[in-house]
Amino acid sequence: MASTEIARYMIVDDRRIALDPEGYLIELSDWTPGVAEALAAEEGRELGEEHWEVIEVLRDFYSRYQASPAMRPLVKAVGQTLGSEKGRSLHLMRLFPDSPAKVAARLAGLPKPANCL
Amino acid sequence: MILHILNRPPSTSLVYREALAAMGSTDRLLLIEDGVLGALTSQVRHFQQVGDRLFALREDLVARGLDGQCDASVQVVDVDGFVTLTEEADKTVSWF
Amino acid sequence: MTTPVPVEGDLLVILRHSPHGSSWLREGLDAALVAAAFGQSVTLLFMANGVLALAKGQQAGPLGQKGTAATMDMLAMYDIESLFVANDALAEFGLAQQDLMLPAAGLEAEAIAELMAGHRQILTF
Repeated sequence: MASTEIARYMIVDDRRIALDPEGYLIELSDWTPGVAEALAAEEGRELGEEHWEVIEVLRDFYSRYQASPAMRPLVKAVGQTLGSEKGRSLHLMRLFPDSPAKVAARLAGLPKPANCL
Repeated sequence: MILHILNRPPSTSLVYREALAAMGSTDRLLLIEDGVLGALTSQVRHFQQVGDRLFALREDLVARGLDGQCDASVQVVDVDGFVTLTEEADKTVSWF
Repeated sequence: MTTPVPVEGDLLVILRHSPHGSSWLREGLDAALVAAAFGQSVTLLFMANGVLALAKGQQAGPLGQKGTAATMDMLAMYDIESLFVANDALAEFGLAQQDLMLPAAGLEAEAIAELMAGHRQILTF
């Protein structure tokens, strides 16, 4: 669920981007690729082509279903869009270690997935 | 056997029809809270198809001063009986 | 309409409330999604007013409230594809199969008990 509690701000391209306590955007419309890069940089991640294509899958998913996917549907959506080679949890774990559904949703500017641990 | 639990009276809520539609031939129906109004002699006709598998919770009847008006066809159980019914069932389903 | 052979599964979620009027439908769908996200096989049964969740053409509410249609669309992504609908409730609202946004197998009342017996756990919403 999207949180409304502003914990801090991040400055990206001279814009103040409000973040909730877990680092998700307060205003989903604040998202730009630059915001994604800044969020990734905070965690010491650098976004490559394979990250961006997953981020795009996530943003499509959200615009269609109005919800961030848990891991299983994320794997399925990635597989449907990018092919079965990439539609595997191992691929997503490698790109977004720890918790791909949560990490990738955050970078994609989406709310935290509601139904995953 | 499934224990179905209904907490609404047939006089004001049609949810009892969903419970009845979902009941298998050996399933049991327990009336609790306002559902016990359905156990009164004047109301029990709604549950005719349940036969001798109809139960009502004593505490809820007593609280409403209705234990004397509960129909003889209804098996009245107390909270311990509720627990026993639950233990005897494969699972329970609530209708509200 | 012929009644299909009811399936078996881990969890049967029974949805009895219509979209927009209360949060019951949304909560029921959320419960189904959580279970599916954890790998449970989930079956949905739409009965009573719940069959309206399947109606085509649903929109946001007058104040922009999100409905449940997008969530219904999302079910397949969670591999929730075992959907049943009570025929008598469909008839009650004058709905036919072609009015539904997702394919849901019509169930006669007698088959509902069988569907329930085939699932390890049942939640009603």
